[in-house]
Amino acid sequence: MDYRIKLAKRMLFNQKGSLFGAVLAVTIGILVIHVNFVIFQGLFDAIVRDISDYNTGDVIITDEFDFIDKSDQSLIRWFERIPVVQAATPRLSTSSEMNMTKNGKLIEETRISLVGVDPFNDVRASTVHETVTEGSYVFSRNSIVLGSNIARDLGGAQVGDSVKVLVVDRWGQDQIKRFTVTGIANSPGGQGFDYSGVIHIDTLRDMMSRHGDTGSFMVKLYDHSKALEVKEFFLRSFPNEDFIAETTEEASEAQLEGFRSGIAMINMIGYFGMMASAFAIVTIQMMLVNGKTRQIGVMRSIGAKRKDILIIFIFQGMIIGAIGAGVGTAAGLGYTVYAKETKMSFNGSLPLEVTYNWEKVIQTALMSFILAIIASLYPSYRATKLLPVEAMRSV
Amino acid sequence: MSSVLEINNMSKIYGEADNRVKALDDVSFSIKQGEFVLIVGSSGSGKSTLLNMIGLLDHPTKGKISIDGIDTTTLNDDKISSFRNKKLGFIFQFSNLLTDLSVLENVLLPLQIGGNNTGEKDAMDLLKAVGLEDQIYKRANKISGGQAQRVAIARGLINKPSIVLADEPTGNLDSVTSATIVQLMKSMAKKLNQTFIIVTHDREHFGNVDRVITIKDGKAFEGDMPSEMEITV
Ligand SMILES: Nc1ncnc2c1ncn2[C@@H]1O[C@H](COP(=O)(O)OP(=O)(O)OP(=O)(O)O)[C@@H](O)[C@H]1O
Ligand SMILES: [Mg+2]
Repeated sequence: MDYRIKLAKRMLFNQKGSLFGAVLAVTIGILVIHVNFVIFQGLFDAIVRDISDYNTGDVIITDEFDFIDKSDQSLIRWFERIPVVQAATPRLSTSSEMNMTKNGKLIEETRISLVGVDPFNDVRASTVHETVTEGSYVFSRNSIVLGSNIARDLGGAQVGDSVKVLVVDRWGQDQIKRFTVTGIANSPGGQGFDYSGVIHIDTLRDMMSRHGDTGSFMVKLYDHSKALEVKEFFLRSFPNEDFIAETTEEASEAQLEGFRSGIAMINMIGYFGMMASAFAIVTIQMMLVNGKTRQIGVMRSIGAKRKDILIIFIFQGMIIGAIGAGVGTAAGLGYTVYAKETKMSFNGSLPLEVTYNWEKVIQTALMSFILAIIASLYPSYRATKLLPVEAMRSV
Repeated sequence: MSSVLEINNMSKIYGEADNRVKALDDVSFSIKQGEFVLIVGSSGSGKSTLLNMIGLLDHPTKGKISIDGIDTTTLNDDKISSFRNKKLGFIFQFSNLLTDLSVLENVLLPLQIGGNNTGEKDAMDLLKAVGLEDQIYKRANKISGGQAQRVAIARGLINKPSIVLADEPTGNLDSVTSATIVQLMKSMAKKLNQTFIIVTHDREHFGNVDRVITIKDGKAFEGDMPSEMEITV
């Protein structure tokens, strides 16, 4: 082995404290980035997941001006012929008023979003039925599922209670109907129907006098990465209709935009953390160099060139970077596995969508490795400035 | 016999203006191959400065140093490093050794710095000659001061240098150990016909040597210093 590499290794491993400190600095830098990724990217992806699962599917179809008047069955059949499509379901929504008498007291709530669903297809295309924590999802023409917040606002509506619902039909007439509460919906993270009432889509069509009309179609795919393809295929197939087709991301762009810049900022903080660990390496290596002043002088006296000294200390930077990147990545992945296995949730409610982004993992490891080498440049350069006469010094 | 070292009109001035110290003042002498030379003189007289110049560890302000007939004043830093590696051996007063390496690795280091990865047998032979054959795998910070100086002697000899330079090699040792180190250097010099230039305060321990150069106020004089000077040391 080259004596410079041997010396670099020995000097470092004989200074366990310095080695440990430097490796720890790199490790923490990497860990911060991994933890940030798990939490904030996980949160972002969880929100996208919930929007997709509860509200938009992978592709959502609406009509540019009005309601979709194609029949449910024909559109569903059209979509389900595409192999990558798992299911499609129609939805219709409007604003409503509700009132309920509880313990002899009448409580009235206005401007409540009322969503009509097709119970058979909805459970195939959306997981929103899983958020029904008490009772069951809409199953008959006069059953209603209340979002937990609506139930609370109505004075504590429970399964079995009766609610009066008012909607304005297409002719401007009030239409009132009594429903029985069959379930309460409460989604972790609140992206579900927590602020809505959910009824059978045909009941809502009746009340609104909109027979055969649909507000939107949620299309669920087996593979989200095909969303754009399906969307474009759909638009090409119906060129003469005023359909709008959007992927989850397109449909929720407004909701996600702020979040995106938040993540960018969190990433910045992570990179600042990495910079801080680079400074820690500079400090630790300066200490190493200062502690070896005389020995560096001895090496120079017996013939080591400036370049040789430079190589020794830069190699130390590489060792620190390599071990740090290894330990840091292992720790980061450990945290990620832990988050995934324990189904870690944000704020104790919204389960994070934990993914392994290998590109980012490798990029982070590589970057901290390179940063450690860059950090070692200055101490290494200082070491080369030490003169051979240092060996002669008697104090 | 040819001369391994030739010094012509060499001066060394440290500092500037008010802080100016003339550490060496127009020194000239030459040393022949195989000579065992002591450099003596009172503290601050300029002995270490002289040895630094001969060892090419620092540049003279004026004058010329030739080693093995090569004028060293014109060499650049890398050439000087190679030159030190091939032509000179060093024994310092303190902390001679790299504490991260073993005794054997320390002795091999000058060879490896010179790009030669063989020579283990030569190193073993030298370590045997200095009486450390049973310590070769010990880490260099786990041996005594006297043993460290023996290792330094072996390391100083491994490249078969033209000159071995030592600055107070016994300055840090007790008197009994000093005497054995002195005897070791003298016997190695004789055995290998090796030139030694040794700065020392320990004149008595060395007894008879080939040559003594006394430094006084930066000037070099042939022979032992007068006894009245020793009192001031
Ligand atoms: N790097 C330096 N900068 C300034 N002055 C120096 C330097 N090195 C030595 N000197 C001065 O040069 C003079 C000679 O110093 P030198 O170290 O050569 O003496 P010395 O004979 O080796 O003394 P000692 O026996 O105490 O080791 C002294 O006055 C010293 O203060
Ligand atoms: Mg001195």
